[in-house]
Amino acid sequence: MAYEALDFYDVDSLLTEEERMVRDMVRDWVDEEVIPNIEIACREGVFPDEWRVALGEMGVLGAPLKGYDCPGLSYTAYGVICRELERGDSGLRSFASVQGSLAMYPIWDFGSEEQKNHYLPKMASGEWIGCFGLTEPDYGSNPGDMITKAEDMGDHYLLNGAKMWITNGSIAELAVVWAKLDGVIRGFIVEKNDPGFSAPEMKGKHSLKASVTSELVFQDCKIPKDRMLPGVKGLRGPFSCLNNARYGISWGALGSAQACFDSAKDYAMSRIQFDHPIASYQLVQNKLSWMLREITKGQLLAYHLGQKKDSGDWIPEHISLAKMNNVDIALEIARVARDIHGANGILDEYPIMRHMANLESVKTYEGTHDIHNLIIGRHITGIQAFTREA
Amino acid sequence: MNITVLLKQVPDTTAKITISGGKVDENSVSKWSMSPYDEYALESGLQLKEKTGGNLVAITCGPERTKKMLTDAAAVGADTLVHISNDGVTDSTHVQKLLAAAVRRFDSQIVLCGKQAADTNSGSTGPGVAELIDAACVTLVTEVNYSEGKFSTIRPSNSGTEKVAVDGLSVFAFDKGTHELRRPNVRGIMMAKKKQVESITSGDLGVVLDSSNVTLNSQNPPPEKPAGQKFEGAEHVNEVVSKLRNEANVI
Amino acid sequence: MDFTIIAETNGDSLHPTTYQLIGAAASMGSNSTVICPNGVGASEAAKINGVEKVISANGDCFNIFDGGAWASAMSSMCGEMILISASPNGREIGARIAAQKDIPIIQDVVSMSEGITVSRPIYSGKAMESLTISGSAVITLRPNAFEAAGTGNDAPINVVDQSADVKIAIQEAINKASERLDVTEADIIISGGRGMGTIENFSHLEEIADTIGAAVGASRAVVDEWGMPHRMQVGQTGKTVTPSLYIAVGISGAIQHLAGMRSSKYILAINKDPDAPIFGVADYGIVASWEDAIPALKSSLSELQS
Ligand SMILES: Cc1cc2nc3c(=O)[nH]c(=O)nc-3n(C[C@H](O)[C@H](O)[C@H](O)COP(=O)(O)OP(=O)(O)OC[C@H]3O[C@@H](n4cnc5c(N)ncnc54)[C@H](O)[C@@H]3O)c2cc1C
Repeated sequence: MAYEALDFYDVDSLLTEEERMVRDMVRDWVDEEVIPNIEIACREGVFPDEWRVALGEMGVLGAPLKGYDCPGLSYTAYGVICRELERGDSGLRSFASVQGSLAMYPIWDFGSEEQKNHYLPKMASGEWIGCFGLTEPDYGSNPGDMITKAEDMGDHYLLNGAKMWITNGSIAELAVVWAKLDGVIRGFIVEKNDPGFSAPEMKGKHSLKASVTSELVFQDCKIPKDRMLPGVKGLRGPFSCLNNARYGISWGALGSAQACFDSAKDYAMSRIQFDHPIASYQLVQNKLSWMLREITKGQLLAYHLGQKKDSGDWIPEHISLAKMNNVDIALEIARVARDIHGANGILDEYPIMRHMANLESVKTYEGTHDIHNLIIGRHITGIQAFTREA
Repeated sequence: MNITVLLKQVPDTTAKITISGGKVDENSVSKWSMSPYDEYALESGLQLKEKTGGNLVAITCGPERTKKMLTDAAAVGADTLVHISNDGVTDSTHVQKLLAAAVRRFDSQIVLCGKQAADTNSGSTGPGVAELIDAACVTLVTEVNYSEGKFSTIRPSNSGTEKVAVDGLSVFAFDKGTHELRRPNVRGIMMAKKKQVESITSGDLGVVLDSSNVTLNSQNPPPEKPAGQKFEGAEHVNEVVSKLRNEANVI
Repeated sequence: MDFTIIAETNGDSLHPTTYQLIGAAASMGSNSTVICPNGVGASEAAKINGVEKVISANGDCFNIFDGGAWASAMSSMCGEMILISASPNGREIGARIAAQKDIPIIQDVVSMSEGITVSRPIYSGKAMESLTISGSAVITLRPNAFEAAGTGNDAPINVVDQSADVKIAIQEAINKASERLDVTEADIIISGGRGMGTIENFSHLEEIADTIGAAVGASRAVVDEWGMPHRMQVGQTGKTVTPSLYIAVGISGAIQHLAGMRSSKYILAINKDPDAPIFGVADYGIVASWEDAIPALKSSLSELQS
């Protein structure tokens, strides 16, 4: 059944023909391959390998990157891809975000020519999966104080430390790991079979069940000298990756929100209580109307930010606002949709509870909701409020 | 070898059809798609092209909007895109004349199309075009094969299916095919964007269309279904079955 | 108005639609000439009321179905208005004849009145259109949409030898083991629910499915509890289907099931509970246990098929 997206202001008519074709390609794939299989993937707690293959074949991984066999699409197209994927599941979008924005992007922007040629084509085709190791057990919102460190041993580097909450960790061929070399944050490419490296999977998640989350453990992990990303030092490295991934999330969350809205609308139209469809009651209409209102605002926000990304006229605070707002409304829409579905809302017959649980992670990762508030607060006042120290 | 595929753009089969002023309102169609059986014709054409190194010519006859569908066809591998502007022509015999002239102009050795379009549901185009270009035609086929310069196909028969060989220029009208349809990819989409659609008119094709003998009076919503009917007891089964046949016309 | 009818045959006799084609012509106040390809059913046709003459068209080309050859052979026998069944073969012959004679063709007509004005479904039945034809045309009629003509006539039979070039050759007949259709593809679906009692009882639904070429579906309860394959599941988390006819047997009609099948064109519900919600969406409902209704349904349907 062809999916008709809620697009009250016809925002998609602003897309280029190419962007619309990419949208339809991903949308059809999600309808045919993802939505019918997502509940099983969640129940089994796996990211289906066919999805990796399909994303590679469609050629959407690392969407906005140019050269090295990367797609070379616009940032707007990248956003649209995220939105379509996340209508299926946030775990699927997470896979694509991490691969494109967090693993391919730093190699593309900060890697050596050899590194780019070696890694990017195989990552764009989906043959190699990448992950991104920044968060540590004791350092989440505050990654600057990370303790994972690298030592220069003359002919190689030695890594020690641990990363946590790493999406794609156990299924990745390579990890882009941020560690301190002589007290300065640098990026390193660690390959799956490097000695002293392991990536045990974290089990028991109630959220993003179809996404693999892992620890990365480095115990005297020895990597060759040519694996350091030469082009960046300090937090700017990981933060520029996060900017791109957060941008994608600001679109992606709308996909989840739309899925919840669609389901709530259909349910409200067909559920009869007190002799009439519940959609005919004002309180329910108020909820649906509020959902539509927030989704429409979110769509305008995402589209406009996409244009800014494409023209290069943006600041990180623009992205913080969109990530924070769109995830926030998506989560609230999921909760209201759950309410409209009554008891049925808790069943896996409907996508609601899955999106709702997923969005709890999305609210936290890539900068928690409140960290984005603090980023914007600092922008407004010029006063940082992350820490009491000046 | 030129492999020609005839494609039609139709309202997506899941789209709602609205009537206003006694006509189907095309402006309210939320999504236009390639007619489903045509997709199998296109897929088969692409496979033949890959096998023979031929050139795939995608032809459509329709209003301006249909060019988009040709670009979609290019995204999966169509080489030459031909749009015949129909200037409001909808009479099937007229459309067949235009398509037949275009097929001749591109010197096709084989023509593939769907068994019927999802809007008119007629199924006249394939055999009609075949008649006009003096070709063999096999309808309701599920695959077309090529070996040693000859085409063969599979069509339904009374006892199952049968393999049919054809002689010379042939038209194959597809049912749902046995091949899985390919998806476009980003690279194909970017190439498709650069591909020009060749626009031609009946004048370019040297086709003179006389006025049609068929006039459209109106298009209307389907008759309202009778309200649900409930029968007590299995003794009413016969009655219900005859209603299914004569009232609902579904068995 | 002078009607020529190309008979639809079924093995070595006439298909019931041929009676309907003749009935339709008669309702327009016209006698008709009936062409019987390969002479099949000619003497049967001569007995149908409203037939003025029968042409028994004999020729080698009729030994295999090649719409082009058949059309060439019969085209010169046809008069101004040509009626054919809207079967796949009928549509193909009709389109060929129309193109050959350069006259319009209107396919799948469900009603016909003076004018000549016809109506036909478009967009898979989501709309109807009404057309008026002036001059000659080929019209194909939807089976079972017209009243069949009666018998008792004794029309003359002319035997005409006329063949044409056949451009296709059958290389191999492939007998397909009748593979049951998938629910997403079938035009008719018969689904069972918990009311079927046990999974074994689905064999009764399968038998019916095989007689009418339907797919067998199931409700979620049956898939989850009895281990029916998930691909058969119709509903919110199963397949969404839109067949012409959906037969729900022993399915109560939970909102999740309705979500997957309520857009079917027609719904027949069989359930012993008269208050089952499935009756709320059914076009035809039979309040009966499946044990009583299914055997009756089976015999009634197989009677129709023969
Ligand atoms: C499913 C999943 C996948 C992930 N994938 C990755 C990955 O691939 N790579 C990676 O590096 N990381 C990943 N993460 C980690 C994620 O980025 C972190 O969880 C996130 O940065 C928050 O860190 P934390 O969990 O340690 O929370 P904390 O930083 O401990 O925050 C806890 C709470 O305190 C609040 N808080 C913190 N500091 C302040 C402050 N100064 N003022 C006010 N409030 C504050 C936060 O807003 C939050 O509400 C993933 C997380 C999840 C859940």
